[in-house]
Amino acid sequence: MYRYDEFDAQIVKERVAQFRGQVERRLSGELLEDEFKPLRLQNGVYLQLHAYMLRVAIPYGQLSARQMRMLARIAREYDRNYGHFTTRQNIQFNWVALKDIPDVLALLAEVEMHAIQTSGNCIRNTTSDHYAGAARDEIMDPRPWCEIIRQWSTFHPEFAFLPRKFKIAVTGAAHDRAAIRVHDIGLHMRERDGVRGFEVHVGGGQGRTPHIAALVNDFVPEDRLLDYLEAIMRVYNLHGRRDNKYKARIKILVNELGEEEFTRQVEAEFAAQRSHEKIDLPQAEIDRIHAYFAPPELATKPETSDVFEAAKASDKVFARWARTNLHPHVTPGYTSVTVSLKPIGGLAGDATDAQMEIIANLAETYGQDDIRVSHAQNIILAHVALDDLPALHAELDAAGLATPNESLITDLIVCPGLDYCNLANARSIPVGQAVQKVFADPDYQEDIGRLHINISGCINACGHHHVGHIGILGVDRKGEEFYQITFGGRADEKAAIGDIAGPGLKSEDVPGALKRVVDRYRELRSGKDELFIDTLGRLGHDPFKEALYAAD
Amino acid sequence: MSSVRPKLKPETPKSITAWETATGRTVWMTADGGWTADTAQIAAFTGDEAEERLAAAAKQEAIITDPYFMEVTETGGITGRETLRESIRANGPTVAYGDKA
Repeated sequence: MYRYDEFDAQIVKERVAQFRGQVERRLSGELLEDEFKPLRLQNGVYLQLHAYMLRVAIPYGQLSARQMRMLARIAREYDRNYGHFTTRQNIQFNWVALKDIPDVLALLAEVEMHAIQTSGNCIRNTTSDHYAGAARDEIMDPRPWCEIIRQWSTFHPEFAFLPRKFKIAVTGAAHDRAAIRVHDIGLHMRERDGVRGFEVHVGGGQGRTPHIAALVNDFVPEDRLLDYLEAIMRVYNLHGRRDNKYKARIKILVNELGEEEFTRQVEAEFAAQRSHEKIDLPQAEIDRIHAYFAPPELATKPETSDVFEAAKASDKVFARWARTNLHPHVTPGYTSVTVSLKPIGGLAGDATDAQMEIIANLAETYGQDDIRVSHAQNIILAHVALDDLPALHAELDAAGLATPNESLITDLIVCPGLDYCNLANARSIPVGQAVQKVFADPDYQEDIGRLHINISGCINACGHHHVGHIGILGVDRKGEEFYQITFGGRADEKAAIGDIAGPGLKSEDVPGALKRVVDRYRELRSGKDELFIDTLGRLGHDPFKEALYAAD
Repeated sequence: MSSVRPKLKPETPKSITAWETATGRTVWMTADGGWTADTAQIAAFTGDEAEERLAAAAKQEAIITDPYFMEVTETGGITGRETLRESIRANGPTVAYGDKA
């Protein structure tokens, strides 16, 4: 993974010192909240319902055991013994005191971490495929380009005060696991005539006005990528709405100008760049960044493992986990493992300090010191030998980290909702827990197959409800929580925004209603191989709406 | 539960609530104009006094942040449309978390 050079270390250290001074001035009253707010937001500090929240960047979701141990230490010493992994592959601490945050940032800097670009109207943490550099279906590793984008965008003066926040995602596999089409810019890596490049999608997003991104250019060669991104950013910076927060995202600009006109303006900006303005990296620099992401040196192993096969044959619990939580690895004899942070009735994405320590240890012992955070709020050990899976599973299971549900119906994406968030209108976590409980039987879950339920506690859609196969949106009606259900969203290469099924439901009615929908799907599917989302596509939404609102 | 704060009538009993600047914890104004994290000490104000108290609170930014009116009963109990939100601000999440989850 990427390691800081002296410049990276210096700017992070200086930033901590600067923020320490700003916090001191805030606590003395020299800075008022209105003056301080933009400063704290540039350092990932939010003021939530009942505490400050510190959002720490995990660039493209990758971290080492050493970094994970530091997160555990911060959870233990400065928070309430846990942290929350987010849908943007970051981590949030929910109870950190403002007076302590400079010390926390200093600790993070010791392990090459920070909270820059996790808030404010800047280019945020670039997200990616959580199996990057490991997946068998990957064409190219997106991480080096995520890192290049990070370096280009960090403290870029032209993009420090954009009309609104800006999110970029990159994927290098045919199957999009990074939800790139619902990002401000989504980059899909391609190869054409031996040249590597990117399909560029612009103007996707969720929130109150969801849009699927427009394909603006089907191939930008990699050596022109930063120039092309700069052209997009300039069009946005110039024409993006600054007068209305709700119309400020680039998706609104793309929609208002139309895809064709927006593309024309980007291409014109790109063509107008003069030679001295070009920021194309020299090949040596591209190669230097790529070298940080060289695949781990894995011992040669056969495609199958006798140890693994024997364990599956003798241990049903292990066999089930092996069916659900592994992903094919590019190297024979290895796999990527999902460490589920979705125990039934638990809090999606939360891990205790003890669990973080265990994950760090397991990553060193079995996982090449390579930990990933997925946008679905799970942890991935990207490179694990099949031979080691029984031992790994036993240790995960003992720590409550072996729930066999990756991409199954209980692997819900759930935002913090009104239990934590100042923007939320309704709670998400208890509804997610109640939904999990009606689908808890692991045989039932496996029979249902891959089905994504995503919950947000407000229209800002941090819980990605628009792109859940089933989406749940919490709304407030005169002080009472209601939940709108959507069908048919998806976040992959066939990205779509879900359609609202009808009137909202009371929280206590949501689990039963969804069970009726899922059972209707099991009756109607053409076979066990037809996923819910495909049955929905084949039959339309009516049978499922009918089931949703049918009386018990 | 809306994140938009409702307007309260002058005669509606209200507390002044905010965040303690140094820690972020929820605090309420006491009868003597100090700040408490103890819900039993929430004071109810009405009319001009409430407005004056809020104006005074707004000048204490080193200690507290973003003060606003919260609807309460005459004895300072949390009530009204924002009861769920304010109860969560007072008592924390409605679900067990961390080691207790």
